[in-house]
Amino acid sequence: MSNQAGMSRAQVAVLYLVLTTAIASGIAIYSSASTVTALFKTATTGLFLPLLLSLIVSFLLDPLVQFFESNKCNRTLSIFIVYLLLSFLIFILLLIVGPPNWKGMAQALKADFPRYIGHAIEYVNGLLAIIHEHFPIVKSYDIAERLRVASQSFFGLIIKETPRSAMRIGSLLLLVPLFSFFFLRDSRRIMRGVIAMTPNRYFEMVLDIYAHVSWQLSHFIRGRILEALIIGCVVWIGLSFTDIPYAPILAIIAGATNLVPYVGPLIGMIPGLIIAIVDLGMGGQFWWILCVYVLIAQVILDNFILIPILISKVSNLHPLWVILAIIMGGKLYGVMGMIIGVPIASIVNIIILEIRQYRRTFNLYNRYFTSRGKLL
Amino acid sequence: MNPFWDNIFRSAKYEQSLPYFLSTIPMFDKLDKRELAFLENFVHARNYETDEVVFNEGDIGSGMYVIRSGQAQIFKHDEGGNESVQANLEAGDFFGEIALTASRPRCASARTTKPTVLLGLFRSDIEEAIRRHPAPMAKIMFSLNRVVSDRLLQCSIQLEKAKIQLEEKQSHE
Repeated sequence: MSNQAGMSRAQVAVLYLVLTTAIASGIAIYSSASTVTALFKTATTGLFLPLLLSLIVSFLLDPLVQFFESNKCNRTLSIFIVYLLLSFLIFILLLIVGPPNWKGMAQALKADFPRYIGHAIEYVNGLLAIIHEHFPIVKSYDIAERLRVASQSFFGLIIKETPRSAMRIGSLLLLVPLFSFFFLRDSRRIMRGVIAMTPNRYFEMVLDIYAHVSWQLSHFIRGRILEALIIGCVVWIGLSFTDIPYAPILAIIAGATNLVPYVGPLIGMIPGLIIAIVDLGMGGQFWWILCVYVLIAQVILDNFILIPILISKVSNLHPLWVILAIIMGGKLYGVMGMIIGVPIASIVNIIILEIRQYRRTFNLYNRYFTSRGKLL
Repeated sequence: MNPFWDNIFRSAKYEQSLPYFLSTIPMFDKLDKRELAFLENFVHARNYETDEVVFNEGDIGSGMYVIRSGQAQIFKHDEGGNESVQANLEAGDFFGEIALTASRPRCASARTTKPTVLLGLFRSDIEEAIRRHPAPMAKIMFSLNRVVSDRLLQCSIQLEKAKIQLEEKQSHE
Protein backbone atom coordinates (compact mmCIF):
# COMPACT_ATOMS: atom_id res chain seq x y z
CA MET A 1 0.00 0.00 0.00
CA SER A 2 1.52 3.30 -1.06
CA ASN A 3 -0.12 6.26 0.57
CA GLN A 4 -0.79 9.80 -0.59
CA ALA A 5 2.26 11.41 0.99
CA GLY A 6 4.50 9.25 -1.11
CA MET A 7 6.04 7.35 1.77
CA SER A 8 6.89 3.70 1.63
CA ARG A 9 5.45 1.26 4.13
CA ALA A 10 8.76 1.14 6.03
CA GLN A 11 8.84 4.91 6.38
CA VAL A 12 5.29 4.99 7.72
CA ALA A 13 6.20 2.28 10.21
CA VAL A 14 9.22 4.23 11.36
CA LEU A 15 7.19 7.42 11.63
CA TYR A 16 4.54 5.58 13.62
CA LEU A 17 7.15 4.10 15.93
CA VAL A 18 8.89 7.42 16.44
CA LEU A 19 5.63 9.20 17.21
CA THR A 20 4.47 6.56 19.69
CA THR A 21 7.82 6.54 21.48
CA ALA A 22 7.81 10.31 21.57
CA ILE A 23 4.32 10.44 23.08
CA ALA A 24 5.04 7.59 25.50
CA SER A 25 8.28 9.12 26.71
CA GLY A 26 6.57 12.48 26.96
CA ILE A 27 3.88 11.00 29.20
CA ALA A 28 6.50 9.13 31.22
CA ILE A 29 8.60 12.25 31.72
CA TYR A 30 5.53 14.29 32.59
CA SER A 31 4.24 11.81 35.16
CA SER A 32 7.65 11.22 36.69
CA ALA A 33 8.22 14.97 36.80
CA SER A 34 4.95 15.46 38.61
CA THR A 35 5.82 12.69 41.06
CA VAL A 36 9.24 14.26 41.52
CA THR A 37 7.71 17.64 42.24
CA ALA A 38 5.21 15.96 44.56
CA LEU A 39 8.04 14.20 46.35
CA PHE A 40 9.92 17.47 46.54
CA LYS A 41 6.83 19.15 47.95
CA THR A 42 6.31 16.56 50.67
CA ALA A 43 10.01 16.61 51.47
CA THR A 44 10.07 20.36 51.96
CA THR A 45 6.79 20.87 53.82
CA GLY A 46 7.43 22.33 57.23
CA LEU A 47 10.87 23.52 56.18
CA PHE A 48 9.65 26.89 54.99
CA LEU A 49 8.96 28.31 58.44
CA PRO A 50 12.20 27.19 60.15
CA LEU A 51 14.25 28.40 57.19
CA LEU A 52 12.52 31.77 57.20
CA LEU A 53 12.83 32.16 60.95
CA SER A 54 16.49 31.22 60.94
CA LEU A 55 17.16 33.68 58.12
CA ILE A 56 15.50 36.38 60.22
CA VAL A 57 17.47 35.34 63.30
CA SER A 58 20.72 35.39 61.38
CA PHE A 59 19.91 38.86 60.00
CA LEU A 60 19.25 40.02 63.55
CA LEU A 61 22.37 38.50 65.08
CA ASP A 62 24.75 39.46 62.29
CA PRO A 63 25.71 42.89 63.73
CA LEU A 64 26.53 41.31 67.09
CA VAL A 65 28.66 38.63 65.46
CA GLN A 66 30.42 41.30 63.44
CA PHE A 67 31.13 43.23 66.61
CA PHE A 68 32.93 40.28 68.19
CA GLU A 69 34.63 39.47 64.91
CA SER A 70 36.08 42.96 64.62
CA ASN A 71 37.66 42.37 68.04
CA LYS A 72 39.90 39.65 66.66
CA CYS A 73 37.74 36.58 67.17
CA ASN A 74 37.21 34.29 64.25
CA ARG A 75 33.69 34.02 62.95
CA THR A 76 32.72 30.63 64.36
CA LEU A 77 33.96 31.59 67.80
CA SER A 78 32.11 34.88 67.74
CA ILE A 79 28.89 33.13 66.71
CA PHE A 80 29.32 30.81 69.70
CA ILE A 81 29.92 33.78 71.97
CA VAL A 82 26.76 35.45 70.72
CA TYR A 83 24.76 32.24 71.19
CA LEU A 84 26.10 31.83 74.71
CA LEU A 85 25.35 35.42 75.63
CA LEU A 86 21.86 35.15 74.20
CA SER A 87 20.98 31.94 76.02
CA PHE A 88 22.42 33.38 79.22
CA LEU A 89 20.28 36.49 78.79
CA ILE A 90 17.13 34.44 78.21
CA PHE A 91 17.96 32.30 81.23
CA ILE A 92 18.44 35.36 83.45
CA LEU A 93 15.23 36.88 82.13
CA LEU A 94 13.32 33.70 82.92
CA LEU A 95 14.86 33.63 86.41
CA ILE A 96 13.90 37.21 87.16
CA VAL A 97 10.50 37.48 85.54
CA GLY A 98 9.61 33.84 85.73
CA PRO A 99 8.19 32.10 82.69
CA PRO A 100 4.77 33.44 81.78
CA ASN A 101 2.14 30.83 82.49
CA TRP A 102 1.47 29.93 78.83
CA LYS A 103 -0.32 26.67 79.51
CA GLY A 104 -2.72 28.07 82.04
CA MET A 105 -3.33 31.05 79.84
CA ALA A 106 -4.11 28.86 76.84
CA GLN A 107 -6.53 26.80 78.90
CA ALA A 108 -8.24 29.86 80.28
CA LEU A 109 -8.46 31.35 76.81
CA LYS A 110 -10.07 28.17 75.56
CA ALA A 111 -12.77 28.60 78.15
CA ASP A 112 -13.14 32.33 77.64
CA PHE A 113 -13.01 32.46 73.87
CA PRO A 114 -16.68 31.60 73.20
CA ARG A 115 -17.71 34.20 75.73
CA TYR A 116 -15.73 36.92 73.95
CA ILE A 117 -17.05 35.88 70.57
CA GLY A 118 -20.58 35.83 71.93
CA HIS A 119 -20.22 39.38 73.19
CA ALA A 120 -18.71 40.51 69.93
CA ILE A 121 -21.58 38.96 67.98
CA GLU A 122 -24.09 40.59 70.31
CA TYR A 123 -22.41 43.91 69.72
CA VAL A 124 -22.39 43.40 65.96
CA ASN A 125 -26.07 42.41 66.12
CA GLY A 126 -26.87 45.64 67.91
CA LEU A 127 -25.00 47.52 65.23
CA LEU A 128 -26.82 45.60 62.53
CA ALA A 129 -30.18 46.43 64.02
CA ILE A 130 -29.34 50.11 63.74
CA ILE A 131 -28.14 49.62 60.16
CA HIS A 132 -31.28 47.66 59.25
CA GLU A 133 -33.39 50.55 60.40
CA HIS A 134 -31.67 52.92 58.04
CA PHE A 135 -30.75 50.63 55.16
CA PRO A 136 -33.26 47.79 54.91
CA ILE A 137 -31.41 46.41 51.91
CA VAL A 138 -28.63 45.02 54.13
CA LYS A 139 -31.01 42.57 55.73
CA SER A 140 -30.39 39.96 53.06
CA TYR A 141 -26.81 39.52 54.29
CA ASP A 142 -26.77 37.71 57.60
CA ILE A 143 -23.46 39.08 58.77
CA ALA A 144 -23.80 38.02 62.40
CA GLU A 145 -24.49 34.42 61.47
CA ARG A 146 -21.56 34.33 59.12
CA LEU A 147 -19.30 35.81 61.76
CA ARG A 148 -20.43 33.17 64.24
CA VAL A 149 -19.74 30.31 61.84
CA ALA A 150 -16.36 31.70 60.84
CA SER A 151 -15.26 32.26 64.43
CA GLN A 152 -16.39 28.78 65.45
CA SER A 153 -14.43 27.14 62.67
CA PHE A 154 -11.41 29.31 63.54
CA PHE A 155 -11.69 28.31 67.18
CA GLY A 156 -11.96 24.65 66.26
CA LEU A 157 -8.85 25.00 64.16
CA ILE A 158 -6.96 26.50 67.09
CA ILE A 159 -7.98 23.68 69.43
CA LYS A 160 -7.04 21.07 66.85
CA GLU A 161 -3.73 22.68 65.98
CA THR A 162 -2.48 23.39 69.49
CA PRO A 163 -0.83 20.01 70.26
CA ARG A 164 0.58 19.84 66.74
CA SER A 165 1.93 23.36 66.96
CA ALA A 166 3.50 22.53 70.32
CA MET A 167 5.43 19.78 68.56
CA ARG A 168 6.35 22.15 65.81
CA ILE A 169 7.59 24.72 68.29
CA GLY A 170 9.80 22.02 69.80
CA SER A 171 11.30 21.22 66.40
CA LEU A 172 11.67 24.92 65.68
CA LEU A 173 13.63 25.40 68.89
CA LEU A 174 16.00 22.74 67.65
CA LEU A 175 16.18 23.65 63.97
CA VAL A 176 16.27 27.43 64.05
CA PRO A 177 19.49 27.82 66.08
CA LEU A 178 21.15 25.15 63.95
CA PHE A 179 20.13 26.69 60.63
CA SER A 180 20.93 30.21 61.71
CA PHE A 181 24.36 29.10 62.91
CA PHE A 182 25.18 27.89 59.42
CA PHE A 183 23.59 30.91 57.80
CA LEU A 184 25.68 33.19 59.99
CA ARG A 185 28.87 31.27 59.37
CA ASP A 186 28.61 30.44 55.68
CA SER A 187 26.19 32.88 54.07
CA ARG A 188 29.05 34.93 52.64
CA ARG A 189 30.70 31.87 51.16
CA ILE A 190 27.42 30.63 49.68
CA MET A 191 26.64 33.98 48.10
CA ARG A 192 30.20 34.30 46.77
CA GLY A 193 29.80 30.93 45.11
CA VAL A 194 26.54 32.01 43.51
CA ILE A 195 27.92 35.34 42.32
CA ALA A 196 31.06 33.68 40.96
CA MET A 197 28.89 32.00 38.34
CA THR A 198 28.15 35.26 36.52
CA PRO A 199 30.11 35.88 33.33
CA ASN A 200 33.19 38.11 33.55
CA ARG A 201 31.59 40.99 31.69
CA TYR A 202 28.76 41.43 34.21
CA PHE A 203 30.61 40.36 37.31
CA GLU A 204 31.33 43.83 38.67
CA MET A 205 27.76 44.99 38.11
CA VAL A 206 26.24 41.94 39.76
CA LEU A 207 28.58 42.24 42.73
CA ASP A 208 27.72 45.91 43.20
CA ILE A 209 23.98 45.34 42.93
CA TYR A 210 24.19 42.42 45.33
CA ALA A 211 26.06 44.54 47.87
CA HIS A 212 23.45 47.30 47.66
CA VAL A 213 20.49 44.95 47.86
CA SER A 214 21.85 42.96 50.77
CA TRP A 215 22.65 46.14 52.69
CA GLN A 216 19.13 47.49 52.21
CA LEU A 217 17.55 44.13 52.95
CA SER A 218 19.41 43.54 56.17
CA HIS A 219 18.50 47.01 57.39
CA PHE A 220 14.88 46.58 56.41
CA ILE A 221 14.45 43.17 58.02
CA ARG A 222 16.32 44.18 61.16
CA GLY A 223 14.29 47.37 61.38
CA ARG A 224 10.95 45.64 60.94
CA ILE A 225 11.69 42.92 63.50
CA LEU A 226 13.03 45.37 66.07
CA GLU A 227 9.98 47.56 65.50
CA ALA A 228 7.63 44.63 66.09
CA LEU A 229 9.56 43.58 69.22
CA ILE A 230 9.51 47.07 70.71
CA ILE A 231 5.82 47.56 69.93
CA GLY A 232 5.04 44.18 71.49
CA CYS A 233 6.97 45.04 74.67
CA VAL A 234 5.35 48.46 74.97
CA VAL A 235 1.88 47.02 74.52
CA TRP A 236 2.65 44.35 77.12
CA ILE A 237 3.85 46.91 79.64
CA GLY A 238 0.94 49.22 78.87
CA LEU A 239 -1.62 46.44 79.22
CA SER A 240 -0.15 45.08 82.44
CA PHE A 241 -1.08 48.35 84.16
CA THR A 242 -4.71 47.29 83.75
CA ASP A 243 -6.53 44.19 84.95
CA ILE A 244 -6.86 42.80 81.45
CA PRO A 245 -6.13 39.06 81.20
CA TYR A 246 -3.87 37.58 78.50
CA ALA A 247 -1.61 40.65 78.23
CA PRO A 248 1.36 38.62 76.86
CA ILE A 249 -0.76 36.97 74.16
CA LEU A 250 -2.26 40.30 73.16
CA ALA A 251 1.21 41.84 73.03
CA ILE A 252 2.43 39.07 70.73
CA ILE A 253 -0.59 39.59 68.48
CA ALA A 254 0.05 43.34 68.40
CA GLY A 255 3.73 42.86 67.58
CA ALA A 256 3.15 40.24 64.88
CA THR A 257 0.39 42.17 63.14
CA ASN A 258 2.55 45.28 63.26
CA LEU A 259 4.68 43.66 60.55
CA VAL A 260 1.84 44.40 58.12
CA PRO A 261 1.66 48.11 57.40
CA TYR A 262 -1.63 50.09 57.36
CA VAL A 263 -4.01 47.20 58.11
CA GLY A 264 -1.97 45.23 60.62
CA PRO A 265 -2.11 47.49 63.69
CA LEU A 266 -5.87 47.94 63.26
CA ILE A 267 -6.46 44.18 63.24
CA GLY A 268 -3.94 43.68 66.04
CA MET A 269 -5.89 45.86 68.43
CA ILE A 270 -9.31 44.24 67.82
CA PRO A 271 -8.88 41.23 70.16
CA GLY A 272 -7.50 43.46 72.89
CA LEU A 273 -10.41 45.86 72.62
CA ILE A 274 -13.00 43.06 72.59
CA ILE A 275 -11.51 41.50 75.71
CA ALA A 276 -11.35 44.89 77.37
CA ILE A 277 -15.03 45.62 76.66
CA VAL A 278 -16.20 42.21 77.78
CA ASP A 279 -14.12 41.87 80.93
CA LEU A 280 -13.56 45.44 82.06
CA GLY A 281 -16.50 47.31 80.59
CA MET A 282 -16.49 50.77 79.09
CA GLY A 283 -14.60 52.33 82.01
CA GLY A 284 -11.41 54.25 82.32
CA GLN A 285 -9.37 51.09 81.81
CA PHE A 286 -10.86 50.59 78.37
CA TRP A 287 -9.87 54.08 77.34
CA TRP A 288 -6.38 53.53 78.71
CA ILE A 289 -6.06 50.33 76.66
CA LEU A 290 -7.26 52.11 73.55
CA CYS A 291 -4.77 54.85 74.33
CA VAL A 292 -1.96 52.32 74.68
CA TYR A 293 -2.82 50.69 71.36
CA VAL A 294 -3.44 53.78 69.28
CA LEU A 295 -1.72 56.75 70.79
CA ILE A 296 1.33 55.33 72.55
CA ALA A 297 2.18 52.31 70.40
CA GLN A 298 1.13 53.49 66.98
CA VAL A 299 1.22 57.25 66.83
CA ILE A 300 3.98 58.24 69.23
CA LEU A 301 6.28 55.23 69.21
CA ASP A 302 5.84 53.84 65.72
CA ASN A 303 5.23 56.92 63.61
CA PHE A 304 7.36 59.46 65.41
CA ILE A 305 10.21 57.40 66.80
CA LEU A 306 10.65 53.94 65.32
CA ILE A 307 9.85 54.35 61.63
CA PRO A 308 12.06 57.42 61.13
CA ILE A 309 14.95 55.79 62.97
CA LEU A 310 14.70 52.20 61.78
CA ILE A 311 13.13 52.17 58.35
CA SER A 312 13.52 55.64 56.89
CA LYS A 313 16.04 54.42 54.33
CA VAL A 314 13.59 52.23 52.53
CA SER A 315 10.59 53.61 50.73
CA ASN A 316 7.28 52.11 51.67
CA LEU A 317 5.02 49.99 49.56
CA HIS A 318 1.94 51.47 47.93
CA PRO A 319 -1.23 50.52 49.89
CA LEU A 320 -2.61 48.71 46.86
CA TRP A 321 0.41 46.38 46.81
CA VAL A 322 0.03 45.85 50.55
CA ILE A 323 -3.56 44.66 50.14
CA LEU A 324 -2.64 42.46 47.17
CA ALA A 325 0.25 40.93 49.11
CA ILE A 326 -1.99 40.21 52.09
CA ILE A 327 -4.60 38.50 49.92
CA MET A 328 -2.08 36.47 47.95
CA GLY A 329 -0.13 35.52 51.07
CA GLY A 330 -3.34 34.43 52.76
CA LYS A 331 -4.24 32.24 49.78
CA LEU A 332 -0.81 30.58 49.84
CA TYR A 333 -0.06 30.13 53.54
CA GLY A 334 -3.11 31.15 55.56
CA VAL A 335 -2.73 33.51 58.50
CA MET A 336 1.04 33.06 58.50
CA GLY A 337 1.14 34.04 54.83
CA MET A 338 -0.87 37.18 55.52
CA ILE A 339 1.77 38.33 57.99
CA ILE A 340 4.76 37.28 55.89
CA GLY A 341 3.33 38.39 52.54
CA VAL A 342 3.86 42.11 52.98
CA PRO A 343 7.49 41.92 54.14
CA ILE A 344 8.26 39.62 51.21
CA ALA A 345 6.57 42.05 48.82
CA SER A 346 8.65 44.87 50.28
CA ILE A 347 11.79 42.81 49.81
CA VAL A 348 10.96 42.35 46.13
CA ASN A 349 10.24 46.07 45.96
CA ILE A 350 13.63 46.89 47.46
CA ILE A 351 15.41 44.64 44.98
CA ILE A 352 13.64 46.27 42.03
CA LEU A 353 14.26 49.78 43.36
CA GLU A 354 17.95 49.09 43.93
CA ILE A 355 18.50 47.68 40.46
CA ARG A 356 16.70 50.64 38.89
CA GLN A 357 18.67 53.06 41.02
CA TYR A 358 21.91 51.37 40.01
CA ARG A 359 21.08 51.52 36.34
CA ARG A 360 20.06 55.16 36.59
CA THR A 361 23.15 56.34 38.45
CA PHE A 362 25.55 54.41 36.34
CA ASN A 363 23.66 55.08 33.16
CA LEU A 364 24.54 51.73 31.71
CA TYR A 365 23.32 52.24 28.21
CA ASN A 366 23.55 55.97 27.48
CA ARG A 367 27.29 56.02 27.22
CA TYR A 368 27.28 53.90 24.12
CA PHE A 369 25.50 56.70 22.29
CA THR A 370 26.93 60.00 21.15
CA SER A 371 25.14 63.22 21.94
CA ARG A 372 23.27 62.97 18.64
CA GLY A 373 21.97 59.54 19.52
CA LYS A 374 24.21 57.61 17.14
CA LEU A 375 25.49 54.26 18.22
CA LEU A 376 29.24 54.38 18.68
CA MET B 1 61.46 9.16 47.22
CA ASN B 2 59.12 7.21 45.04
CA PRO B 3 57.50 9.62 42.56
CA PHE B 4 54.19 7.79 43.03
CA TRP B 5 54.05 8.62 46.74
CA ASP B 6 55.45 12.01 45.93
CA ASN B 7 52.41 12.73 43.83
CA ILE B 8 49.98 11.57 46.45
CA PHE B 9 51.53 13.33 49.40
CA ARG B 10 52.52 16.45 47.56
CA SER B 11 51.73 19.29 49.88
CA ALA B 12 50.93 22.61 48.29
CA LYS B 13 54.02 24.72 48.88
CA TYR B 14 53.40 28.02 50.54
CA GLU B 15 55.17 29.72 47.63
CA GLN B 16 52.42 28.52 45.30
CA SER B 17 49.52 29.51 47.49
CA LEU B 18 47.31 32.52 47.04
CA PRO B 19 48.30 34.18 50.35
CA TYR B 20 51.96 34.07 49.38
CA PHE B 21 51.19 35.52 45.97
CA LEU B 22 49.19 38.33 47.59
CA SER B 23 52.09 39.11 49.93
CA THR B 24 54.30 39.83 46.91
CA ILE B 25 51.96 42.61 45.74
CA PRO B 26 53.19 45.99 47.03
CA MET B 27 49.72 46.90 48.21
CA PHE B 28 49.57 43.94 50.58
CA ASP B 29 53.19 43.58 51.63
CA LYS B 30 52.60 44.90 55.16
CA LEU B 31 50.15 42.12 56.06
CA ASP B 32 51.11 39.12 58.17
CA LYS B 33 50.09 35.56 57.38
CA ARG B 34 46.84 35.64 59.31
CA GLU B 35 45.72 38.86 57.70
CA LEU B 36 46.62 37.47 54.29
CA ALA B 37 44.32 34.56 55.03
CA PHE B 38 41.50 37.03 55.71
CA LEU B 39 42.28 38.79 52.47
CA GLU B 40 42.17 35.51 50.59
CA ASN B 41 38.48 35.30 51.46
CA PHE B 42 37.80 38.71 49.99
CA VAL B 43 39.40 38.46 46.57
CA HIS B 44 37.63 36.85 43.63
CA ALA B 45 39.68 34.72 41.24
CA ARG B 46 38.37 35.12 37.70
CA ASN B 47 39.48 33.21 34.62
CA TYR B 48 39.78 35.05 31.30
CA GLU B 49 40.32 33.77 27.79
CA THR B 50 42.75 35.35 25.33
CA ASP B 51 41.53 38.74 24.08
CA GLU B 52 38.72 39.05 26.57
CA VAL B 53 37.79 42.55 27.62
CA VAL B 54 38.10 43.09 31.38
CA PHE B 55 36.55 46.54 31.34
CA ASN B 56 35.99 49.31 28.84
CA GLU B 57 36.93 52.94 29.07
CA GLY B 58 34.00 54.82 30.64
CA ASP B 59 32.59 51.80 32.47
CA ILE B 60 31.75 52.45 36.07
CA GLY B 61 34.50 50.68 37.94
CA SER B 62 34.02 48.93 41.21
CA GLY B 63 37.43 47.52 41.96
CA MET B 64 40.97 46.64 41.03
CA TYR B 65 42.53 43.55 39.47
CA VAL B 66 45.82 41.79 40.17
CA ILE B 67 47.26 39.52 37.51
CA ARG B 68 47.89 36.10 39.04
CA SER B 69 49.08 34.57 35.80
CA GLY B 70 48.96 35.56 32.16
CA GLN B 71 49.07 38.95 30.55
CA ALA B 72 46.88 42.01 30.24
CA GLN B 73 46.97 45.11 28.15
CA ILE B 74 45.78 48.60 29.02
CA PHE B 75 44.74 50.65 26.03
CA LYS B 76 42.86 53.78 25.07
CA HIS B 77 40.80 54.88 22.10
CA ASP B 78 41.50 58.36 20.75
CA GLU B 79 38.86 60.47 18.98
CA GLY B 80 39.52 58.82 15.63
CA GLY B 81 38.82 55.43 17.15
CA ASN B 82 42.48 54.35 16.97
CA GLU B 83 43.84 52.22 19.72
CA SER B 84 46.93 53.25 21.64
CA VAL B 85 48.42 50.74 24.02
CA GLN B 86 49.30 52.30 27.35
CA ALA B 87 50.87 49.38 29.14
CA ASN B 88 51.47 45.65 28.92
CA LEU B 89 51.12 44.05 32.32
CA GLU B 90 52.53 40.74 33.55
CA ALA B 91 51.81 38.47 36.49
CA GLY B 92 52.12 40.39 39.76
CA ASP B 93 51.04 43.74 38.27
CA PHE B 94 47.76 45.38 39.21
CA PHE B 95 45.46 47.84 37.53
CA GLY B 96 42.17 49.64 38.11
CA GLU B 97 43.00 50.68 41.67
CA ILE B 98 41.51 54.17 41.15
CA ALA B 99 38.00 52.67 41.16
CA LEU B 100 38.60 50.91 44.46
CA THR B 101 37.64 53.77 46.75
CA ALA B 102 34.91 55.50 44.74
CA SER B 103 32.88 54.59 41.68
CA ARG B 104 34.63 56.55 38.95
CA PRO B 105 34.49 55.82 35.25
CA ARG B 106 37.44 53.75 34.05
CA CYS B 107 39.97 56.00 32.30
CA ALA B 108 41.27 53.25 30.00
CA SER B 109 40.20 49.86 28.73
CA ALA B 110 41.80 46.58 29.70
CA ARG B 111 41.90 43.23 27.97
CA THR B 112 43.80 40.01 28.35
CA THR B 113 46.30 38.90 25.72
CA LYS B 114 46.76 35.36 27.03
CA PRO B 115 44.61 33.00 29.05
CA THR B 116 44.77 34.86 32.34
CA VAL B 117 43.75 34.51 35.95
CA LEU B 118 42.86 37.83 37.53
CA LEU B 119 42.27 38.43 41.21
CA GLY B 120 39.55 41.02 41.68
CA LEU B 121 39.31 43.09 44.82
CA PHE B 122 36.13 45.12 44.90
CA ARG B 123 34.79 48.07 46.82
CA SER B 124 31.76 46.32 48.28
CA ASP B 125 33.98 43.59 49.73
CA ILE B 126 36.41 46.16 51.11
CA GLU B 127 33.54 47.98 52.81
CA GLU B 128 32.39 44.79 54.46
CA ALA B 129 35.94 43.82 55.40
CA ILE B 130 36.46 47.19 57.07
CA ARG B 131 33.51 46.41 59.30
CA ARG B 132 34.73 42.92 60.10
CA HIS B 133 38.51 43.24 60.23
CA PRO B 134 39.36 46.91 60.70
CA ALA B 135 43.07 46.49 61.50
CA PRO B 136 44.33 44.66 58.40
CA MET B 137 42.10 46.75 56.20
CA ALA B 138 43.67 49.92 57.60
CA LYS B 139 47.04 48.54 56.55
CA ILE B 140 45.74 47.83 53.06
CA MET B 141 44.20 51.26 52.71
CA PHE B 142 47.46 52.84 53.89
CA SER B 143 49.44 50.92 51.29
CA LEU B 144 46.89 51.79 48.64
CA ASN B 145 47.31 55.41 49.54
CA ARG B 146 51.08 55.01 49.20
CA VAL B 147 50.76 53.43 45.75
CA VAL B 148 48.39 56.10 44.52
CA SER B 149 50.53 58.93 45.90
CA ASP B 150 53.61 57.42 44.24
CA ARG B 151 51.77 57.48 40.95
CA LEU B 152 50.62 61.03 41.57
CA LEU B 153 54.17 62.10 42.36
CA GLN B 154 55.46 60.44 39.19
CA CYS B 155 52.69 62.05 37.25
CA SER B 156 53.46 65.53 38.53
CA ILE B 157 57.20 65.07 37.83
CA GLN B 158 56.38 64.04 34.27
CA LEU B 159 54.02 66.95 33.92
CA GLU B 160 56.75 69.30 35.11
CA LYS B 161 59.16 67.82 32.55
CA ALA B 162 56.61 68.17 29.78
CA LYS B 163 56.00 71.76 30.77
CA ILE B 164 59.72 72.56 30.60
CA GLN B 165 60.00 70.87 27.21
CA LEU B 166 57.05 72.82 25.93
CA GLU B 167 58.51 76.09 27.14
CA GLU B 168 61.85 75.27 25.49
CA LYS B 169 60.06 74.48 22.26
CA GLN B 170 58.14 77.74 22.39
CA SER B 171 61.27 79.75 23.11
CA HIS B 172 63.00 78.12 20.08
CA GLU B 173 60.22 79.19 17.76
